[in-house]
Amino acid sequence: MATNRPPFWQREQYTPYLLLLPALLTLAFVVVLPLLFSLYTSFTGYRLIRPESLWQWVGLRNYKRIFADGDFWIAFGRTIVFLTIALNLEFLLGLGIALLINRITWGQRTLRTIMMFPMMFSPILVGYQFKFVFNDNIGILNNALQSLGLSDGAIPWLVDKYLANFSIIFAEVWMSTSVFAILLLAGLFAMPRDPLEAAKVDGCNPWQVFRHITLPFLMPFVFIAMTIRSLDVARAYDIVDVMTGGGPAGRTELLWTMIARTGYDNARMGQANAMAYVSILLSIAFTYYFFTKLLAARKYMGGAD
Amino acid sequence: MDGSLRKKIGSVATWGLTFILMVVICVPGLWVVLTAFRPNGEVLAKPPVWIPEDPNLNNFAKIFGFGADQVAIPVPAYFTNSLIIALTSTAIALLIGMSGGYAFARYRFSFKNGLFLGLMLSRTVPGIALSLPIFMIWSRIGLIDTKLGLIIVYVALNVPFTIWLIDGFFRQIPKEMSEAAQVDGCTRWQAFWKIEFPLAKSGIASAGIFAFLTSWNEYALASNLTRSTDSKTLPVGLMDFTAQFTIDWAGMSAMAVIIIIPALILTFLVQKHLIAGLTFGGVKG
Amino acid sequence: MKSSILRYLAMGAGLHLAMTSAPATAGEFDGYTLRVKLIGGAQYEPLYSRIAEWEAMTGAEVDVLSRKNHFELDREIKQDIAAGTLDWCVGSNHTSFAPQYGSIYIDLNGVISEDVLAEFQELALKNSTINGRLLQLPRHSDISNLYYIKSLYEDEDKKAAFKAEYGYDLVPPETWDQVKDQAIFFANAPTFYGTQFVGKDEAITGRFYELLVANGGALFDDDWNPIFNSEAGVEAVNFFKDLYDAKAVPAGALNYLWDDTGLGFASGTVAMDLDWAGWASFFNDPENSKVAGDVGLIRAPKGSAGIRTGWSGSHTFSITETCDNKDAAASFITFLTNHDSQMIEATAGLLPTRTKVWDDAKAKFAAGGNDFLVQVFETYAVSMSEDAFTPPLITPWIEVSNEIWPQLQAAILGEKTPQEALDEAAEAARIVMEDAGYL
Repeated sequence: MATNRPPFWQREQYTPYLLLLPALLTLAFVVVLPLLFSLYTSFTGYRLIRPESLWQWVGLRNYKRIFADGDFWIAFGRTIVFLTIALNLEFLLGLGIALLINRITWGQRTLRTIMMFPMMFSPILVGYQFKFVFNDNIGILNNALQSLGLSDGAIPWLVDKYLANFSIIFAEVWMSTSVFAILLLAGLFAMPRDPLEAAKVDGCNPWQVFRHITLPFLMPFVFIAMTIRSLDVARAYDIVDVMTGGGPAGRTELLWTMIARTGYDNARMGQANAMAYVSILLSIAFTYYFFTKLLAARKYMGGAD
Repeated sequence: MDGSLRKKIGSVATWGLTFILMVVICVPGLWVVLTAFRPNGEVLAKPPVWIPEDPNLNNFAKIFGFGADQVAIPVPAYFTNSLIIALTSTAIALLIGMSGGYAFARYRFSFKNGLFLGLMLSRTVPGIALSLPIFMIWSRIGLIDTKLGLIIVYVALNVPFTIWLIDGFFRQIPKEMSEAAQVDGCTRWQAFWKIEFPLAKSGIASAGIFAFLTSWNEYALASNLTRSTDSKTLPVGLMDFTAQFTIDWAGMSAMAVIIIIPALILTFLVQKHLIAGLTFGGVKG
Repeated sequence: MKSSILRYLAMGAGLHLAMTSAPATAGEFDGYTLRVKLIGGAQYEPLYSRIAEWEAMTGAEVDVLSRKNHFELDREIKQDIAAGTLDWCVGSNHTSFAPQYGSIYIDLNGVISEDVLAEFQELALKNSTINGRLLQLPRHSDISNLYYIKSLYEDEDKKAAFKAEYGYDLVPPETWDQVKDQAIFFANAPTFYGTQFVGKDEAITGRFYELLVANGGALFDDDWNPIFNSEAGVEAVNFFKDLYDAKAVPAGALNYLWDDTGLGFASGTVAMDLDWAGWASFFNDPENSKVAGDVGLIRAPKGSAGIRTGWSGSHTFSITETCDNKDAAASFITFLTNHDSQMIEATAGLLPTRTKVWDDAKAKFAAGGNDFLVQVFETYAVSMSEDAFTPPLITPWIEVSNEIWPQLQAAILGEKTPQEALDEAAEAARIVMEDAGYL
């Protein structure tokens, strides 16, 4: 009997697991294993420069310390605000660009490539680029404003409380709007023509067409884009680190810059990993939120599970 | 008459707006490109010099050490490393992604949604939180400063998104097509390569370009896991232009141009597939 | 900067290529591969062209594992300590960073012969010693003095206007109070600034620290209690704050590091600049600098206690405990800091740590007709021997610094009063010192 049964790896019910095995193995090795290690260290007084401190169990001390630290919560709150503003701005601008390019037929291919230009830039390069653009003394922005007579002072883009945050958000939005634009443009291309024509015949104005037909159709694309972006939004660390390093006076401090300084400069890896865990939970919350939205939107479109 | 006028105004407005947006997108990047062709003195000039007065290739010559009075930066090595690492990791991520995406698209199994979400969430872990643990593990097994070490990391970085896009794309292809092929005597494996794979090409290409750009541009992990010209990639090489006291803007910009051009060429070539691939991938279930 | 350095380098190498004085014997380390991690960057790399010479001399091969700036190198070394991958022999080091690395580096006393050590400046060796162990062999030292634009002080209208307003003559400043007056007097934002300061990281901590000392204060008392929230500390913070409020420094100064201040002075838009010796030839090079030929230099001014600012540090080499051939490592770092090596660095404007090289370099500049560099070396020689002091050589120095500088920024920006900011920083520094076992 048993001789007739194929070996287990050929049985149908195991096939999906086998197919997923390479992916799961890779992620277990590169993500889960390191995360378990850093979870452990977050309960120790681990300091990089003293390897033996890896065994110094301190229980919840690191977590207690960071939860009691006002600066940490300010950075936490700023990270949420940063994410919210950046993601929404990227969405709105991306939508605008996609709608515009969708209307243009001549030279569209070139425009699409230009639109994707910022995607070619490494985050670290984006950081240096905008550090230079926003430099108060020799930066091109202040130089341009002064040449055009729009400003007679040196605007401290990277120092002023609001302008510094504006500047890092601008850099992040500049780098990442392309992803939204390209995904939403794909959505517009996929749009069936019939409902649009029907609505026009029924006398809907362009705004109504957009509001009631185009936008609902686009929503799944929006959530996909949001999910993708919230997945790797931590790339913004490179930008902020180069542009302001979280300063001045912590005005642009995000969780990621704080983690890096605590972990490497101060060599307090245990505490840094406790912070990292809080930041991971935050990213997961953002991603999970958009993901459920995406599933709902998919159902709305009549998709499968 | 009225209608055509409105149309005209509309298209002028469209073009105008598009133009402004394109300028905002291009100017910061173009500034980098212009800077690559001018001397440092001009970069720091005040009042500013907008268009290079004497555009030249000196910065590039310096990077490659041609007749220059400077230690050459090993750009060819960085470039080779980047290319090998980005291409290999993209290829592997695509293979793993096809296999995983196919499983999600074509099979029902327990924990399916949980596994899918888990895969996605694994991508949310910020690189800065992973850098030290990965370093510790890699150093135990001798993967520090090797191309392989970085390739493995980038595969893991790209697999979730790749699975997602490819999953969506396979779902687009009616099951019946491969079933028909199997009735005709193909194995499932043959049916996959003959029917489903060719149809999913665009989706796979678009997943590929995202994966390539991520690996090509990644810095945070690469800066921790690489040490020498054996494995240093181009973005890490950018740091060669910053010393304790100075940043060589012009040199850095020239290097940036070297990083951007391959990505730009590739994107231009693949972008037709990119749009087509994204249109269906991922959205419709 | 590069081109000028390298021109000097070419000069120096040409003169000295033939004569070497390192105590290495031919073929001594045949077939051995020495693994090293070196600081990279335009100022430091010219020296490395000599590595080939050492290889030829000893038969060993040098494998440069990394060549990065010091902040990156620091991160890498910490990772190596954490992962136990100290499989290399020689590392670049620095006075400010060295205390953190604890016991990974050996005591060079006894490894490097006493005759060789005797040729180094005593102060440089003392600053390389931690807990009685000579952990580093100094390669070159650094300290800051005040550069200024000469013509500004020769302008009769300005002289008269200044005298009328401040009641004393407009001459290069002797005290930091005068620097403040003159900076505010010269400033005309956004086209011209009186002076500038670095505004973040260990850079501003260091500048605050030296002014604190110059005002008669100290960071810690004898038992390592933080006491920089003193009157002298507040006075030091107010110096930065007043300049900032008066727009006598660029508005972005709080985001500035060394490249911004150096390049700012070279752009001709800043009247005075407290900066390191390495910039001197850059400032006076017409290719890079608008103020070339118009650069004045004086010793760093005095604080309110009559002490001159003199935050100083050295770039150094260290040998790891885990090194498998310490003799080869010692021979290597001795070679890279010997007379000829230091002459190469000195000709580029870096400050030597060997007594004799100071004189020889000066003589060489004089012979070459470079009066400016002669003056530079004379000024820096005095400040190195009379004014130099290091940051506290404690393990958590960088950590303490990371508690201080954000508070300095907050005070300068007016978010807190200087006293509040310093009190908070002192409290945080106390916790760091407690955790590190000093208290």
